[in-house]
Amino acid sequence: MIALIPTVSALAEQQPASDKPLSAEELKSAVSIDALTVPTPGEFFAAIEKGGKPNWTSEYRPPISIRSTDRAQMALNLGTLIADGYIAVEAQDSQQVKNIGKDVLALAKKLSVSQTVLARGASITQFAENNAWDQLNEELEATQNEVKKALEENRDIDLITLVSIGGWIRGTEVVTGLVMQNYNADNAKLLRQPALVAFLKNKLALLPERLEKDPLVQKVVRELDDIQRMVSFAPDHVPTIDEVKELNAASAKLTKEIGVSE
Amino acid sequence: MSRLGLIVAASCFFAAHWCIAEAETDDQVAARNDAIDFAGAFQNDGFKIRDGNYYGKVSVDKSALVAVNLYNGNAYWFTASTGEKSEKLRVSVFDEGGNPVSYEPYQSGTRAAAGFSPEASGVYYVKVALEAGQPATFCLIYSYK
Repeated sequence: MIALIPTVSALAEQQPASDKPLSAEELKSAVSIDALTVPTPGEFFAAIEKGGKPNWTSEYRPPISIRSTDRAQMALNLGTLIADGYIAVEAQDSQQVKNIGKDVLALAKKLSVSQTVLARGASITQFAENNAWDQLNEELEATQNEVKKALEENRDIDLITLVSIGGWIRGTEVVTGLVMQNYNADNAKLLRQPALVAFLKNKLALLPERLEKDPLVQKVVRELDDIQRMVSFAPDHVPTIDEVKELNAASAKLTKEIGVSE
Repeated sequence: MSRLGLIVAASCFFAAHWCIAEAETDDQVAARNDAIDFAGAFQNDGFKIRDGNYYGKVSVDKSALVAVNLYNGNAYWFTASTGEKSEKLRVSVFDEGGNPVSYEPYQSGTRAAAGFSPEASGVYYVKVALEAGQPATFCLIYSYK
């Protein structure tokens, strides 16, 4: 169970009451929302750090082109870039954080959401210069949420899903890469996320026709089908190293396709 | 569901979401502020508070359920508050099949929390219920480490 220091132990004095299983009707009524149902790359990365400090810099990638004018691609790329920001924070690499922060702002500007995230960009630079890693982690999530909020305000709500998908795909590529470097059962079990992919796919199914016909979005939909199969295994199954490699190859391929300029 | 049905459902969802984003009520603000204040105790213990939150309404007859995707190895605290004085709130956690899991509960009037460390990654359900008092707006947030 959770290791608790006195502050939290003092709060959690009561014993759990017996809970009844949820009814089918209750399960059907469950709410899924982007802000809580989709984990941040930071959460994914926190889990893999439990097995020892990973070699985060090994998961860096070359800067991506942000010249595309395809809004779907920009949104997907924004998600992958924010995940890159988390990697740089985990690596405690202030220059890389600042570089990625600039790219995030540049893409945000192209998506017309830069005004609301400019202040966040300044904070990211400041925290990076001060090596304030915990605050940077929070700032990255806040930046992602600001971008999503701005997209919502600009009536670009459909792009929000693509930002989330980009972040998750890149996060999966990174985590599978790290699992391959230090394979063990606990790390491999992190890759089980069937409901999450189903949630993202359901949101893709609701995209308007103009986005649905976007060739990159179509590619994402197709390849998410394969990825869903790879992350859908029984809770007690431990993915083999070959299964991890297969998922790494699939997520790396999709990340690359998202990053390729038109 | 037909394509038209999907579009209508999406429009309704986004319209509702839009309204929530546009105008937070006083009850929501009070609930969120208190939930964040409460979660500060866990932050002192190294937990990171997620930036997102969920607002819902609970009554003695109607609880709320939120799906979350968690990772084995991480520890989580789910924290809820109504920001009011007289309610008895409760937070509990269930696995993907809807079965109760072992978690660390906390309950104090308008505030409640559940601490949970999953052994398997995947989807879990966080239930917010009102055991006594008038219907209320609540805010749910979560922290992890």
